[in-house]
Amino acid sequence: MKASVGDVVLPGDYCEEISAVGEKAKVIIGPGLQKEIDHVYVTKAGILKKRNPNTYWVDNYQKRYIPARGENVIGVVVQKAGDIFRVDVGSSITAALSYLSFEGATKKNKPDVQIGDVVYAKMLVASKDMEPELVCVDSHGKKGRMGVLSDGFVFKCSLNLIRKILNPNCPLLESLKNEWPFELAAGMNGRIWIKANTMRETIALGNAILGAEYLSDEEIKSMCTNIATILAGHVS
Amino acid sequence: MGVEVDTKEFKLKPMKCEFNFLSKSDGSAILSQGETVTLVSVNGPLDIKMQSQSIEKSTLEVLFCTKGGKPSVADRYKESIIKQTCETAILGSLYPRSGITVTIQELEDYGGLLSCALNCTCLALLNSGLAMRFVFAAVSCAVDELGNIVLEPTQEQATSARALLNFVFESRNKNLLTGFSEGSYSESAYEEALERCRAASDLVFTFYRDIISKYSNVI
Amino acid sequence: MAEIYKLIHPVKYFNDYISRNVRPDGRQFHEHRNIKLNVNSIKASEASGVVKCGNTTVICGIKLELATPKAEEPDSGFLVTNVELLPLCSSKFRPGPPSDYAQVVSNIVTDIVMNSECINLKDLCIVYDKLAWVLYCDIVCIDNDGGLIDACVMALISSLKTLTLPNVTYDPETEDIKVDITKRSPLKVNGLPVATSFAIFPFFEKSILLTDPSAYEEDMCGGNGANLIVCWNKGFLCGTQKFGGSTLSMEDEKQALKIAKQRTKLVEKLIETCIDNESK
Repeated sequence: MKASVGDVVLPGDYCEEISAVGEKAKVIIGPGLQKEIDHVYVTKAGILKKRNPNTYWVDNYQKRYIPARGENVIGVVVQKAGDIFRVDVGSSITAALSYLSFEGATKKNKPDVQIGDVVYAKMLVASKDMEPELVCVDSHGKKGRMGVLSDGFVFKCSLNLIRKILNPNCPLLESLKNEWPFELAAGMNGRIWIKANTMRETIALGNAILGAEYLSDEEIKSMCTNIATILAGHVS
Repeated sequence: MGVEVDTKEFKLKPMKCEFNFLSKSDGSAILSQGETVTLVSVNGPLDIKMQSQSIEKSTLEVLFCTKGGKPSVADRYKESIIKQTCETAILGSLYPRSGITVTIQELEDYGGLLSCALNCTCLALLNSGLAMRFVFAAVSCAVDELGNIVLEPTQEQATSARALLNFVFESRNKNLLTGFSEGSYSESAYEEALERCRAASDLVFTFYRDIISKYSNVI
Repeated sequence: MAEIYKLIHPVKYFNDYISRNVRPDGRQFHEHRNIKLNVNSIKASEASGVVKCGNTTVICGIKLELATPKAEEPDSGFLVTNVELLPLCSSKFRPGPPSDYAQVVSNIVTDIVMNSECINLKDLCIVYDKLAWVLYCDIVCIDNDGGLIDACVMALISSLKTLTLPNVTYDPETEDIKVDITKRSPLKVNGLPVATSFAIFPFFEKSILLTDPSAYEEDMCGGNGANLIVCWNKGFLCGTQKFGGSTLSMEDEKQALKIAKQRTKLVEKLIETCIDNESK
């Protein structure tokens, strides 16, 4: 079936619009789209979206993470093997994290990472034919916000929720940060790390994020105030 | 006969579907077609044993669990049908050296179990976000004693029928993806059944689209 | 050189053949392999048949036993078919319990015979609710080079055609069973179901039908075994199975039915000639 931007699409649909634009200018086809001979076919079920100039993708529901280069993810160190750590990021195979890819790390000065630690890292290599590789430094050798996340609480959610809360237009984090202080790291692999002052606040924060999955912007705002009032003890 | 076919409306059993019925699997769907209900869970891409890995495409594993729970030779046959259908539909080359597991649980069987299981599998695959070449729709029909074709027969119609035909179509060109049959039938009955089911598969595809748009709008 | 090419570019190698309208073993797309049939070659069994389609070799033996009919169907006997795929026939199979594929093949062969209604199970009943024949049809594959279902069905049907059942007398009072192996009556076989396999190869936008595929062709077309099996019996279809491989358009479908019909006539003639020669 023929599809255009904004439509609900199913795998097997094709988009003539993209092929037509592609003849004149450069087009970027993102996840959920594939070029086959002379048509661009949809491979995932969701909504066909476009961002100017000429970037197309399908916004679909997904829980399982497929590594993609340049994404920030949260993983758990599961093994130390020689000079790499194996990190579980939720993909089919564990990702490798060299211990030299921490800020200031050398052969002599190894970073202090234990099995079971949670790390916030960037995908450096992500190819379907190779083991994914993570780094905890940027191209200048600075750690930025990456590295081991100590304390706090990690939970899993769908990949869509991460994209939703990281969207600059999403009011969730804006509203929550005005209510009580907390730290948060969201990995594109569907894992969120949160840290607040008390257990009560941590749980409230986790529930607020998970509850936002199917809510509209307005509903999110009212939910945040609601949770804040309950937390403050005004309503039991 | 030809006139009759044109005027007859294609009606399928009412379908109801819920996504994410299971919270822990990567994709799951529960589908009821009339009284028949199946539940499918899809997990993957997963890490699998070295010996079953393929460097070209993902390894698909299909498990069919009957209500009775005892595995039989007929279940292996059903698994083989579902597996080969999924193998063509999934773009396995995007996930080399990994495994995808599909588990089908029969909940209620009032006829048309296998086509319900196939449709439910397709929905669960859509929910899991695995890349697919196309979606597929399974439609069953029966050829009765007089040679008439009954779409989606009830259990009584199915037991009294001379033959039962099942077809699975893909969404791109509505070509035949999988087909299997029981009983014997004439060539003309076969061709008529195939065309009727092909037309009826549109209803299933529309249903898929409705379900997806219902879920996409809230995300 | 060709061997190396085949190893390095398996898909391209195959594509090159297809684009020149020929198959790697030199056949045309719709040409099937030579069939060789021999009946009653195993003297230890009641009836037997050996079939060779190209390299695919299948042997079928039928053993008779007496049993009490099932309570639900007191007037029917039993027909038990089983296909064994030993490690002998292909490197794909391992020793041990029957593989999933062997179970699937068994199931398809049983379905074809049952759906074609070529054997009336009621003919196998001797005394109502007391005594019936059990036909154990064991099919063993010796060499698996594709088109397995065709060969299995052919071996099974030709064996059934030559099967004779000994006379049995049953004394209802003493429940004494007497089998007279000298007096035999042939089993009634209604029609002659013949299966024809096809592999469907996706070639750019089209799909190419390959009649009676070899194991190599089956592998190249994806899927487990043949992609399309069409079974004719007395002008009626008694099983059309399509699994995996490429999709099938309407024209290809019609063509496959036609080719299968022609091949069925040929196989029917072959089986009849073979049985005639044997009985002379």
